[in-house]
Amino acid sequence: MFINYEHNNHVYNVVVERRDDHYFIMYDNTEYTVQAEEIKPGALKIKLGDRVIKSVITEGDKEKFVFVDGDVFSVKKVELTGSKKTNKKEEGDMNSPISGKIVSIKVKNGDNVKTGDVIMVIEAMKMEYLIRAPYDGKVKKVNFKENDQIEIGQTTVDLIKTGKEE
Amino acid sequence: MGVLKRLFKKVLVANRGEIAVRIIHGCQEMGIKTVAVYSEVDAGAPHVNLADETVNLGDPTPSESYLNISKIIEAARSVGAEAIHPGYGFLAENPDFPQACSDKGIKFIGPSAKVIAMMGDKIAAKKTMEKAGVPVIPGYHGLKQDNPTLIKEGKKIGFPLLVKAAAGGGGKGMRIVHSEEQIEQAIESAKRESKSAFGNDTVFLERYLDKPRHVEFQVLADEHGNVIHLFERECSIQRRHQKIIEETPSPVMTPQLREKMGKAAVKAAQTVGYTNAGTVEFMIDGKHNFYFMEMNTRLQVEHPITEMTTGIDLVKWQLRIADGQQLTLKQKDLSQRGHAIECRIYAEDPSNGFLPSVGNLEKVDVPNIPNVRNDSGIETGMKITPYYDPMLAKLAVSSERREDSIDKMIRALSNYVVLGVTTNIPFLKKVLEHKEFRNGNITTHFIDNYFKDWTIAKRGLPVDAVISLAVFDSMHSKREEYVRFKEADPHSPWKHVGRWRMGAGV
Repeated sequence: MFINYEHNNHVYNVVVERRDDHYFIMYDNTEYTVQAEEIKPGALKIKLGDRVIKSVITEGDKEKFVFVDGDVFSVKKVELTGSKKTNKKEEGDMNSPISGKIVSIKVKNGDNVKTGDVIMVIEAMKMEYLIRAPYDGKVKKVNFKENDQIEIGQTTVDLIKTGKEE
Repeated sequence: MGVLKRLFKKVLVANRGEIAVRIIHGCQEMGIKTVAVYSEVDAGAPHVNLADETVNLGDPTPSESYLNISKIIEAARSVGAEAIHPGYGFLAENPDFPQACSDKGIKFIGPSAKVIAMMGDKIAAKKTMEKAGVPVIPGYHGLKQDNPTLIKEGKKIGFPLLVKAAAGGGGKGMRIVHSEEQIEQAIESAKRESKSAFGNDTVFLERYLDKPRHVEFQVLADEHGNVIHLFERECSIQRRHQKIIEETPSPVMTPQLREKMGKAAVKAAQTVGYTNAGTVEFMIDGKHNFYFMEMNTRLQVEHPITEMTTGIDLVKWQLRIADGQQLTLKQKDLSQRGHAIECRIYAEDPSNGFLPSVGNLEKVDVPNIPNVRNDSGIETGMKITPYYDPMLAKLAVSSERREDSIDKMIRALSNYVVLGVTTNIPFLKKVLEHKEFRNGNITTHFIDNYFKDWTIAKRGLPVDAVISLAVFDSMHSKREEYVRFKEADPHSPWKHVGRWRMGAGV
């Protein structure tokens, strides 16, 4: 699960995976493996190595509040990928959800792809992100080559929709 | 005296927030029915829920609610309350209020209107104390304002000397004079500045105190002439004249000094015929000279630390004294045990010039730690409005020694959850952690000296917060997964990677 948190105009990219009460968190090029439980609503007890993080989280109207060790931080979750639902044009600017290295590109200019086809694999923080086609389409332009560094929000490929409505 | 009177049956508490809650608890423990008054925005506030009866004062503007004498007197009459406890702030030190109470045959839980009025005039109060032999800061507050008179009086007082605008405030029209040669020039420039700032060039002269501390003594006086003191409270840690951390005993106190100051405090109360609970404020200089500053004719915000170290319930004594009962406590039997600190938790934003912070309290969760007392007027779900003082609660701890109290307080603050409204908790922790605070080297200049331009470092989200958020969101997410671990075991179900959908809500 990939999440962007915004705090004081700064965006934090985090990836988290859960396996029972274990969580694998990728943040700032470091992997954290923790064990966690919610001891009462909003109150977390997180074991990280020999350390215990106790925190309290609550959701306000617009933001979340995190209490850790007497300090309180308010954060918002943000969408950096932009909403495509409102895009009237057939072009999808397929932004990368994360900064990382492009390890593999599965398409080339002019290829036809189907919804769900893998277009690109981006590696960041020891994890791979698969960029898949959100709709059937034709690749107009691949903007990167393998081993390129891609930044969050940059467009991976320009994909023109080839839906039935055409 | 004669026959022992029965205690009040019903008391109205003319206040709100934590102090109203504290007073209601005291009454209820004694079997006295309580009446809360509240403005519209405080409907459902803890003090309202706790009281046996309530009266809605309507309009939240203070002058239309908690400061409105006729509304409050009418409320007391409508429910048949025999006495009114004013708390602190609002009407507590307005002599018109006890007068209005007695006019309607209601007992005011506090000193008489006459004493409140006398102590409210700070200059008259100092003169009264000086006559009674209580030390006051040497000074000149006379009407003759010609330079030769002022210079002559200044020399009498000695140096360093403070020239203060009579109408002053915020340091305007204030000059420190270190020697005789500077005095004339300082008086003239203070007068000029005062004239342009306040339209009045009257100045006072006072001895300037080096390393000043604010140390106050709690007194209790019954209506039969018995007066005792309950030791000191050190209140030097102030931000813009607002106390934020108080403790007792004071790190500067010695048994000899305590004895002398305690006697002076009792003398001060006796001199004016004081009754009920009160506080005599002193300044102590670097050489341990002490001077009477003023008398607070009410229960103080910081009274819990006295209660925690003496075991004496001040609110209950206020009620008994107002009821005409005799003080059964004798000075020689009183002692202090251990050490206590109080921190005032304000809804204010340290990273935004300590401006009051308003909003919804999404969560309030208070640590349950031995010897920690939380006097609070807030709870989860409450709205903090801009109408009243931003103090939310007072957290007080006690332990054997000062060092232990500091550690305990830091831990208690670190576990004091207030979400939704920004508080000064991080600032309080920083003050407690400061080396000079730990060493007890505190003066009223402490905050200005060490925290003048302090602000929360914008260091961003700490990693513990990021981990907590990620865990929380993962726990509460029902969404499919769309990343995989590179090194994951090939047979792991995590290999089955879901779809990355653009624009999907996370």
